Amino acid sequence: MENNLIYSSSPHVKTKRTTRSIMIDVCIALIPATVMGTIYFGAYALLLVALAVVAAVFGEYLYLLIMKKPFREITREFDFSSVVSGMLIGLTIGTNYPVYTPIFGSLFAVIVVKMLFGGTGKNVVNPAIAGRAFIFISFQWAVGAWLLPNIGSVYGETVATSATAVVDVSKGTVPALSALDMLLGTGMQGCIGETCKLALLAGGIYLAARKVINVIFPLIYIAVAGLTTTIIGGFDVALFLPAILSGGLIIGAIFMATDYTTTPNTRLGNVIYFIALGILTAVLRYATNMETVSFAILLMNLTVPLIDKFIIQKPFGYKKQIKSKGENK
Amino acid sequence: MSVIKPRFFPYGTKIHGTKLTQDCPTETMPEPSKVYISVSQHIGAPAIPVVNIGDKVKKGTLIAEASGAISANVYSSVSGTVSDICDIVNGLNQKQKHIVIENDFSGEQEFLPPLSDFEPQTLVDRIRLAGIVGLGGAGFPTAAKLTPKTQLDTLIINGAECEPYLTCDYRLMMERTQEIYKGIKYVARALKVSRIIIGIELNKPLAIKAFSEFSDLSVVALKKQYPMGSEKHLIYVCTGRKVPTGKMPFDVGCCVQNIKTVLAAFNAIENNAPLTEAYITVSGHGVKNPKNLKVALGTPFSELIEFCGGRTENANKIVAGGPMMGKALVNLNQYVRKTDSGLLCLNKTETSLDAPSNCINCGLCARKCPMRLMPMYIESFALAGNFKEAERYGAMNCVECGLCAYNCPARRALVQSISMAKAKIKEMKNGK
Repeated sequence: MENNLIYSSSPHVKTKRTTRSIMIDVCIALIPATVMGTIYFGAYALLLVALAVVAAVFGEYLYLLIMKKPFREITREFDFSSVVSGMLIGLTIGTNYPVYTPIFGSLFAVIVVKMLFGGTGKNVVNPAIAGRAFIFISFQWAVGAWLLPNIGSVYGETVATSATAVVDVSKGTVPALSALDMLLGTGMQGCIGETCKLALLAGGIYLAARKVINVIFPLIYIAVAGLTTTIIGGFDVALFLPAILSGGLIIGAIFMATDYTTTPNTRLGNVIYFIALGILTAVLRYATNMETVSFAILLMNLTVPLIDKFIIQKPFGYKKQIKSKGENK
Repeated sequence: MSVIKPRFFPYGTKIHGTKLTQDCPTETMPEPSKVYISVSQHIGAPAIPVVNIGDKVKKGTLIAEASGAISANVYSSVSGTVSDICDIVNGLNQKQKHIVIENDFSGEQEFLPPLSDFEPQTLVDRIRLAGIVGLGGAGFPTAAKLTPKTQLDTLIINGAECEPYLTCDYRLMMERTQEIYKGIKYVARALKVSRIIIGIELNKPLAIKAFSEFSDLSVVALKKQYPMGSEKHLIYVCTGRKVPTGKMPFDVGCCVQNIKTVLAAFNAIENNAPLTEAYITVSGHGVKNPKNLKVALGTPFSELIEFCGGRTENANKIVAGGPMMGKALVNLNQYVRKTDSGLLCLNKTETSLDAPSNCINCGLCARKCPMRLMPMYIESFALAGNFKEAERYGAMNCVECGLCAYNCPARRALVQSISMAKAKIKEMKNGK
């Protein structure tokens, strides 16, 4: 073009934030949980997370290369979303899982759940959760006994609770671990990244400060899940804290349920989504005696198109058109 | 009168914008040797040339006459000889008739006849005669706006200047306060309204101070929240009235006028001068000395850039208007029009040239949209060619403020798709 002028549509200035920068922020927010998981469960934990990440990135490259996209272009457009998926898959399995499980989980998550549907932003359900569910269902036979973290309970007594400590809660009995132990994840069995809630909360605060997530929605989810458990347990207030501090609720609320692609697009839609998610999580926990955060999120993911179809923002000034015009003054 | 707080408006957003020329006084640029005056500098029918090639004209001579109610007169901005009347494809890729005038630098000037009285109808006629249009950018003939079917009760002056970079309105508010004030009074008189509100953004404290001296104006200190300069939003934060979908400001008894429009009205009424000049901010990091300029209509953009020290090496994007709503130029055959308020030379670090990627459904565009639309749906329907559905999602309400695309992390060209959808919907309706 004449004078080498660049032509494009307005606006000509944009925010610095891109999909890639958002995903990198999420990766940064997951680092504390990864570090704590490594401290608690040893180098094998770090290996599992690393394998999950490598497999996820490899899966994305492999798929795009098969689709005949040049290598350089893939690298230029790489948005780190598969790194996030890989980290989440690695963090939501335990050290009792065989070394090959995160690889299969990540490949399934990235290739089947994400890339086959059209890549970032086109997936119907959250890839990380789908990958986790895939591992959970497929490799149950290979999983050994849950291991306790290297650091014992702050109160000196190590209680062998179940993997997620929710079984006790749903039966109406408070687990023997103190709330502080559950917050720190000390003396408690569990998945690599789900154990230390404090590290997850730190990541959540970082994301909220960077305005990647709206802090209200995870809070709604956690509060509703806790309250519903309390109500199911016969209004036993003592159940509230164990309910929210056990299992994968915190990691699910902060990192998984808030995934942009699989949440509604409106504020009201999000409120409905997270309330329903909280209720569903608590009810499923009660009904199945299992950790159900990931399955609850998977189920609610499927309702998002429905919510988005019916909850639409009304244009500015729309209401006035329906009401009488005498309201103007 | 004291400064009033605006009504709370939860949408829109702060945009980090630089105002490079906030402290540069308005300079008058010397007349160029040749001006290219378009006959279509407004919304509506193009004006019809009334001069022939070879005619001698003075500054202020009528060269093209309005053709109909929604049209505006065009006056010569220099004295000299008409050397050509031709079609030029301008920088916005529109083919327009331009009248080319060779400047003889004699400085001769022609004035409109003095006014006999200051009755509202006389004032409206004078504004129509002087060829004044909405100088905020839309270019709607002001006289048509001043003759509403129903009696209005509020005149709102738009001093928001919410676009980054642009500062010419701000400078005028400081330098020409008295004249603008008188212009406002004339416009209010023409409209027969007594309630006058002037909305100024909080980042212009000196302008707010200057206008809070007048007892018959209410100054609303607008939050620094784009797009406060949008007509419908300005009316809402100043008066609490919502302009219903598909209706115009006069339906809620308001008339919004731009700072430069009232200044032009003052010049036409008190100085008998038609509209022959534009106030324009030349800015951006791609130009060496950013300036606020008063220029003759029809001055080539290339001369404006030269006057400001020229372009830097990598300044490859030239924008007519502000960075949010302005149009990028495809060539430099662009000449100052009445409605121009900015000329930006942006270098590569200022503009975003990222390729669009998949929408990640973050919903930021819908959360930021001041019209409460859902740009992601409108875009996907527009790209799929389903314009009926795009219309159902309110595409026609879009004010093209650019906030959706500004915030989009996937860098999608939302404004482009939505304006395409708007054009197609209009076509569909006209076809029926």
